[in-house]
Amino acid sequence: MPKFMYIFRGGAFVTPGLSPTEMQAHLAKWQAWAGALTKQGRSSGGHPLHNGGKTIRGQDRVVTDGPYAESKDLVTGSLVLEAASLDEATELALGCPVFEMGGSLEVRPVAATDDEAAGGPR
Amino acid sequence: MTRRRVDLADYRSVEDLFRRESGHLVAALTRVFGPSNLTLVEDVVQDALMAAMQAWRFEPPRDPKAWLLQTAKNRAIDVLRRERRLVSLPAGLDADVELAGTVASALSPTEETASQLAMMFSICDDGLGQETHVTLILRWLCGLSPHEIAGAFLVATQTIDRRLHRGRARLAELRRLRDVDDADEMRTREPSVHQALYLLFSEGYHGSDPTHPLRPALCTDAIRLAELLLAGRATDHVQAHALAALFCFNAARLPARLDDAGVFLPLSDQDRTRWDRSLIDRGVIHLAQASTGERLGRWHLEAGIACEHAIAPSVKETNWDRIVDHYDQLLLLNPSPVLALNRALAVAELRGLEAGRAALVALANDEKLAGYPFFWAARADIERRAHRPAEARPLYERAVSLSRSRAEREAYQRRIDRLGV
Repeated sequence: MPKFMYIFRGGAFVTPGLSPTEMQAHLAKWQAWAGALTKQGRSSGGHPLHNGGKTIRGQDRVVTDGPYAESKDLVTGSLVLEAASLDEATELALGCPVFEMGGSLEVRPVAATDDEAAGGPR
Repeated sequence: MTRRRVDLADYRSVEDLFRRESGHLVAALTRVFGPSNLTLVEDVVQDALMAAMQAWRFEPPRDPKAWLLQTAKNRAIDVLRRERRLVSLPAGLDADVELAGTVASALSPTEETASQLAMMFSICDDGLGQETHVTLILRWLCGLSPHEIAGAFLVATQTIDRRLHRGRARLAELRRLRDVDDADEMRTREPSVHQALYLLFSEGYHGSDPTHPLRPALCTDAIRLAELLLAGRATDHVQAHALAALFCFNAARLPARLDDAGVFLPLSDQDRTRWDRSLIDRGVIHLAQASTGERLGRWHLEAGIACEHAIAPSVKETNWDRIVDHYDQLLLLNPSPVLALNRALAVAELRGLEAGRAALVALANDEKLAGYPFFWAARADIERRAHRPAEARPLYERAVSLSRSRAEREAYQRRIDRLGV
């Protein structure tokens, strides 16, 4: 089955002032959504990212603190899953809680190198 | 009765881990940072919880609490290093080794109760009002946001912000949180702490929010914090047991207070099989342990009344004699119109409707009761039961007009509809 990557940006993880109850309720929604993908055998878990880090840029390899993106565009994690098509992967993404607090999600086909998947996404 | 140790772990559900650990972390780190740096502490705790929400969303850690504590510890050490020159920190935090050790020991399991007690006793300061005490407890020990507290009290968020500001300023005058092992200090502050927990419980039991007339989580918090008092070496265990007993008996009845339509049910209509037996048992254990002292205080009497209700199989088979006696003693300690109203209702059960009616009518000139819907509904109930529906109707109508929530209003309206006049 073709693989797709979800790239999560912004949302609750860059929203200041959430209460502990709101955070825990939001977390439960993520765990339910991601847990369902795991249970269906589509994914083996995602990669949550902390907000800090370093950025290295240019031929001079200039190292700076932190990702530069505006908070709504900040990448907060990724998840690889199997789906029959880009449409199905997109459909499965609609239930993601990232949208609840102004976040967004990018669905990208993972480029395969084995023969079966050659020829790009269908 | 066999003495059983009250198991503090019963109420630690996973659903409120964030809120509970927020309270624990704020208290523990305030001991390290000092009360004047509470804002920094709140930032550290917020960061740690945000990191948990972020990191656990695809898969929770094996030991969520340990993860959270470790994260908070690392953040606290980072912040202390960064701010060392900017803010005044308690002495002894200047060397890195000491700093890491101090943070680690403040977050150790043995300090968990002591930190929260120190925070609770520091918050309940004579220079602050009772409403502010409850606000600060909800914020710093129960992890509610200002917005959530405002919702529970039905006041503007700015009002809550002002109380928090006053609380921060008052705490900042302390060099460190109160010493929970100092018996004198505990004794002078304990009544304020008990009163604050009582208000916290009441807010959950008949809250001011018309859309959520019951907030069981606040009742659970009040039980948790009352039981925390029992873990203190210098706290008054007899009083704390009595307070905890009172909370347990009343909280046990929460599941039956509203019907499926969200309307308040009078005691006589409540399905007693829905009362929480484990909470009643817990209350009985607390009450037994509260009965070891000589002093019969307010909490003992109120808990005694709540106990009689909780263990009775029906309204009829309730020990009204003892309840009226407890009310009489309570009124001697603390004359209050609401207590007098409740006593009159008990009198009606013990000595008959006419005796109850006379006791209620005697309270008719009280201004506070005049604005209290339950008073008019109580008078109406007596008339209805005495087969005087025409007298009952205007009294119920008055109760409806004073109702604070749909749950109340519909409860009284329903009784009007059944009068048949």
